[in-house]
Amino acid sequence: MAASGRRLRGDPESGFTMDETVAEYIRRTVLKIPRREIMEMLTIWDFLSKTQLQTINVHHTKERISQEVVTLCEENCAGIKQAAILDMICEETDSLNLADFKYKFKRSLQTALKNVTINFREYEDNALWIRIAWGTQYTKPNQYKATYIVYHLQTPYVFISSLRSNLPLLCQALVHASNYHDIHEMELRSRCLDSLKDIVFKRYSQTFQTYHPRPLQERNVAPEKVDPRIIQENKREKERIQRVNQEVFGNGLQPKIEFAQYKLETMFKGEPEMDILTEKEPFRCVVKFSSPHLLEALKSLAPAGMADAPLSPLLTCIPQKARNYFKIKERKDILSASCLGS
Amino acid sequence: MGTPDSLGMTPLGRKTAETGINFTSTTRFSRGLTFIRTHTLFGQSPARRIIPQTSLLQENADPQKIAFLLRKQWTLYSVTPMYKFSYGNLKEYSRLLSAFVAAEKQKGLAVEVGNDLGIKVTLSALLGLKGTDQDQAAILVQIASRSQLPVENAEDRVVWSGWFCCVSGDDFLENVPEDFTCLSLFLANGAESYTTIVGTWFQKTFDCCFSRLTISPLNLAWMAAMWTGCEVDSHMAATELVFSVPCLPQTLDISYAIHPEDAKALWDTVQKTPGEVTQEEVNLFMDCLYSHFHRHFKIHLSATRLVKVSTSIASAHCDGTIKILHSKHLIGVLMLLTELAISQIQ
Repeated sequence: MAASGRRLRGDPESGFTMDETVAEYIRRTVLKIPRREIMEMLTIWDFLSKTQLQTINVHHTKERISQEVVTLCEENCAGIKQAAILDMICEETDSLNLADFKYKFKRSLQTALKNVTINFREYEDNALWIRIAWGTQYTKPNQYKATYIVYHLQTPYVFISSLRSNLPLLCQALVHASNYHDIHEMELRSRCLDSLKDIVFKRYSQTFQTYHPRPLQERNVAPEKVDPRIIQENKREKERIQRVNQEVFGNGLQPKIEFAQYKLETMFKGEPEMDILTEKEPFRCVVKFSSPHLLEALKSLAPAGMADAPLSPLLTCIPQKARNYFKIKERKDILSASCLGS
Repeated sequence: MGTPDSLGMTPLGRKTAETGINFTSTTRFSRGLTFIRTHTLFGQSPARRIIPQTSLLQENADPQKIAFLLRKQWTLYSVTPMYKFSYGNLKEYSRLLSAFVAAEKQKGLAVEVGNDLGIKVTLSALLGLKGTDQDQAAILVQIASRSQLPVENAEDRVVWSGWFCCVSGDDFLENVPEDFTCLSLFLANGAESYTTIVGTWFQKTFDCCFSRLTISPLNLAWMAAMWTGCEVDSHMAATELVFSVPCLPQTLDISYAIHPEDAKALWDTVQKTPGEVTQEEVNLFMDCLYSHFHRHFKIHLSATRLVKVSTSIASAHCDGTIKILHSKHLIGVLMLLTELAISQIQ
């Protein structure tokens, strides 16, 4: 049975075809639910049976879970009404969660500290901003040195700025209010909040699999008007560098971070000709890269001839590892792409 | 006030990496140029430098005054020989310079006649900063603002300091005529407006010329190697090299800091003759560091520009600023800077 123009999904045995738009809506609604709340939401929804619920494995990726739920919904002949109810349950829980979080957070901090100002503000992208002005037992809160916290309730990440003291207290309040077990500090810092979000939520363009690599000529814009008598000696090498750079850094704009710091404790090994310093002890050094836009600067090093292509994985792994502090120790084999973060 | 160029001084604000030599030509001057021994070919750095075994301060040094020189950032200038400068007239010079500074400061201001703005300038000898007996004694110039408090014996606040010295300069100066005093190195700390005023007065009075002393990456590498090798009893600081990467859409700075013990161990295996450092040894030391860096990051540090060196002894920046941290090695550092100053004058 075909309806007008819309692609239908069908369960051949029962003869029911679930509307594609309903299926998509349910899928997206499930995707928005935080992983640890999925089972609870679906149970409250009471549309899928216990045996059906047991077949869902919450440790799968969210994409997979949402697909599984859609498949089960098909079996149960879900319509827009059921989808709407699920949506409302999630919305209600969301706002309950938010109010609950704010209440618990405020109470947790204010029991510990008498003089503290706490304010909340919600933004459209589901970000909750918290502003805290800290005082002490005897002094009023200093409004000029406030701490700012950004928390997306659906995610397990918190961004903190301008915190000078009281970190343990703050962590305790966050953990308590969000119903998590523990919190730990990531070794990732930047001045650009959006870039931090990009890195942590993996929103930057990752290196794509080049199954169908397009030849370089297609990607070039208009050919330069160069004197035909000029021959580029290393044209091939330049193209190779460009290609390798693209593979390693991806096509899009890099997230904006200002520095990266590496604590190296590896053995000193110069060129084979330098018969120097055959020590048993590591050569300890600390290297710090700084730039207004570090990743873009690193990306332009190889084309400028100042670095090899591909650039060291120690540098290119920064967005993937979501850190800009590293401790590198010696490995038994040749030191290659090892980032043994501590 | 004249424009900075006519005074022959290059102000800090301008980024002149290779400062031209601004000589005001007088007949006395052209004579003055001939007595600098050309020890280097085309101004290149020498193939080897001697590290003096006894580079301690002389006994007559005043510890308090010496301590005043340490742990401050000084801007470096090279100074051509001064004509008819007399150590006996320091009090007179103080008076004249005070008046000059007050007059310059008042230009363009509507001030009561007779108000001296509470500025006092003192010139004094800095004893103990000589490398050899042929060196001229160092001179310290200080500008203090008189205390506004009505309290008696209230201390004046030093707002600007500058000192002239020449340490082991006789290696590079020969046949200096009697009327000339060679204090080739000048170090200044404080507001640049004062530096310009003091410099102008010296240039007018003694027919000399100041120019900013910049330090090339090559010489910074020498400093890194030589100072890393120095023995330090107390608090050892890391040997830090700062590189700036040119020609990128975004500026990039790389700080490469090595644990002082490991840096010294590396230098000790490179240096062959104690008390002497050669160009090859400096190159090898730097190449080792570059190579270790390249192994990890695949970046060629040799293609970047070395702009700053910091060690336990002292730190130096290519713009021509220095900070000396230990009195034990003060003479050694001044010796090297004197050499750079004199070779810039050539």
